[in-house]
Amino acid sequence: MYGGGYVQENENEKKATSAVQDDPIKLEAFEAKISRGEKIEPRDWMPFDYRRQLIRMIEQHAHSEIMGALPEGTWITRAPNFKRKMAIMAKVQDEIGHGQMLYSAAETLGKPREEMINDLLSGKSKYSNVFNYPAKTWADVTVIGFLIDAAAIVNQVINSKGSYGPYCRALERICFEEAFHLKQGHDAFVALATGTKFQREMLQEALNRWWQPIMHFHGPSDKLSVHTERLMRWKVKMASNDDMRQQFLNTYVPKIWELGLTIPDPNMHKNEETKQWEFTEPDWDEFFRVINGDGPCNKERIAVRKWAEEHGRWVREALMNPAEKYSLPYA
Amino acid sequence: MHIISLDPRVSRLDLLDEGSEVTVPQQEGWHTYEVFHQKKTGTQHTHVGIVHAPNPEMALVFAKESFARRGPTSNIWVVKSADVTATSYDDADIFETTPEKLYREASAYKLREKIEKYKLDTHE
Amino acid sequence: MSNPEFETALKELIYKIADDELIIGHRNSEWTGLGPMLEEDIAFSSIAQDKVGQAYNLYQLLNQLGEKDPDQIAFNRNEKDFKCCHLVEYPIGEYDFSLVRHFLFDYAEMQRFEMLANSSYQPLANFAKKFKGEIKYHVFHAHIWITQLGNASGISHTRIQSALNEVYPLVLSIFEPSPYEDVLKSENIFAGEELLKKNWLNAIEPVIEKAGLVLPTVKDETAHFGGRKGYHTEYLGPMLAEMTEVFREDAGAEW
Repeated sequence: MYGGGYVQENENEKKATSAVQDDPIKLEAFEAKISRGEKIEPRDWMPFDYRRQLIRMIEQHAHSEIMGALPEGTWITRAPNFKRKMAIMAKVQDEIGHGQMLYSAAETLGKPREEMINDLLSGKSKYSNVFNYPAKTWADVTVIGFLIDAAAIVNQVINSKGSYGPYCRALERICFEEAFHLKQGHDAFVALATGTKFQREMLQEALNRWWQPIMHFHGPSDKLSVHTERLMRWKVKMASNDDMRQQFLNTYVPKIWELGLTIPDPNMHKNEETKQWEFTEPDWDEFFRVINGDGPCNKERIAVRKWAEEHGRWVREALMNPAEKYSLPYA
Repeated sequence: MHIISLDPRVSRLDLLDEGSEVTVPQQEGWHTYEVFHQKKTGTQHTHVGIVHAPNPEMALVFAKESFARRGPTSNIWVVKSADVTATSYDDADIFETTPEKLYREASAYKLREKIEKYKLDTHE
Repeated sequence: MSNPEFETALKELIYKIADDELIIGHRNSEWTGLGPMLEEDIAFSSIAQDKVGQAYNLYQLLNQLGEKDPDQIAFNRNEKDFKCCHLVEYPIGEYDFSLVRHFLFDYAEMQRFEMLANSSYQPLANFAKKFKGEIKYHVFHAHIWITQLGNASGISHTRIQSALNEVYPLVLSIFEPSPYEDVLKSENIFAGEELLKKNWLNAIEPVIEKAGLVLPTVKDETAHFGGRKGYHTEYLGPMLAEMTEVFREDAGAEW
């Protein structure tokens, strides 16, 4: 569900990449294949950095799904009627399912699932920032379910046309399930917006609190990044962060305004000449602070995952067979 | 360690102390099984993804929910990834067909022209 | 409907089955995102959803019999008006507790559904047939887990046996007889809790043996009765308060 546009990199890895020399003939054939629109499969030759970037990207997407289950999971026991109860149960379940599919896609590139989980727990691997914020009320659930899902879908639909076979196939399935999430999220959001005064106020307040994380979702501007240029040539990244954010705003700001709700940014408007949405630049310092561990819920989210892994240990150990040799999944 | 969370479920958990390290050893996540799914009888099973499972029976239990909880399904197969034998993409050229082999393809047979010409000729 | 108590007996039966499903479904949903393995998390979550969905269907049957609508029944009832058994009220505990509860409860549900498929009350018979596939999977899931964990060496076997010792006495709370057992039987609505329990024991005994486990002896099989009459454990009240928290913030509002 939540593949944010921003993929965390660390400096050491950037240096390591530049030291590797790919076979130039193979590289040329590889790039020609991609520009022909062909897909790359797990056992194809691929440049060192292509593999590295993809593992990073898919892994972070997978972590985001698992972590994304936690803010909405906050309200899973308290949904206010059968329709909402069943929908939220199905939705949070789907997020775990998406995580499962994405870990599997990343695993085809050679990184075992356990290693990815360990990197999440140690803080080495990141996940979408937006889930480090608290879901304070039921209205938060509807804001997440509508607007964060919408932001993620923009990202997922675009990236499902990328070059790596397993990731594309996983994203296609995810997009299919997301259609229900978005409808359900919008439905719950509208129920509050058109409901009692108490419900409307709860919704507006939640929207005000979540607006900054929503604007952060697609990541900082990457127009000038050389790095982005190569990732786009390899069809690892299919659109710039700015383009995805524009697409999101263009579709969803009108849907917020049509309900008579306000956005806590007086500068938000569409420039009729350029057709671009203009807004107050989000606070990117906060973005980096939170992604590096200093957000309101980072510690709790990681602690919960640690609990799940630790308490599930006896179950996994009971059934594992240490004599079996590890093999990579096929696709 | 208990915390007061916005999530009542989390408040009930005895969380590990801050700074505790949790590492999942290799293999504890079991092995992968490739999953093949058949929508309805008469159609073919298609590959849909993998599940991690300790054995085939458990793989079936998981595959049903991971890949068949929505949409029509009549049957599922699971095969351990290690048991799959595959060609190499480096050898994809063995599948290329040269023009000399077109005799094997129906589209290469253009009969209509011949038949029409014969009909015209015999009518004269 | 020859017997004047027919409808009372029928409603009482449906309420207790539905309440069991709702409460255990809610409890099992607490594991979503916290399970021991992603694939199992997904599976257990589906089972929880199925149970809540079945409760909803049964509350709809009650609505057709003149009771309130499902949301009102589930979210706007006093604790003492719930007819669930003590077993389902207990918190989720560790995964061994929840799995063993799932195993014992779902095997009983499967027997109950099979018996209900012959009910003289057609909507109930239809319900049992409609959800046969779901309970079949739930039982399949439970069977595999209990036999595999039971047979695994070391700590796993000990934990499952220990959980069984703890849960088994509680599970007997399912079979608390209804004040209308005679009516249910004479009107062929349902063949009774005694027969249900017998069928259930026949079903679980081979699995217990296959799993290398032993059923504990229970001195007082009625020790955990009371749920069917509205006398609940200390756990139900807080659980219902949590479940209805948002509903009660603005009762009467549409969510």
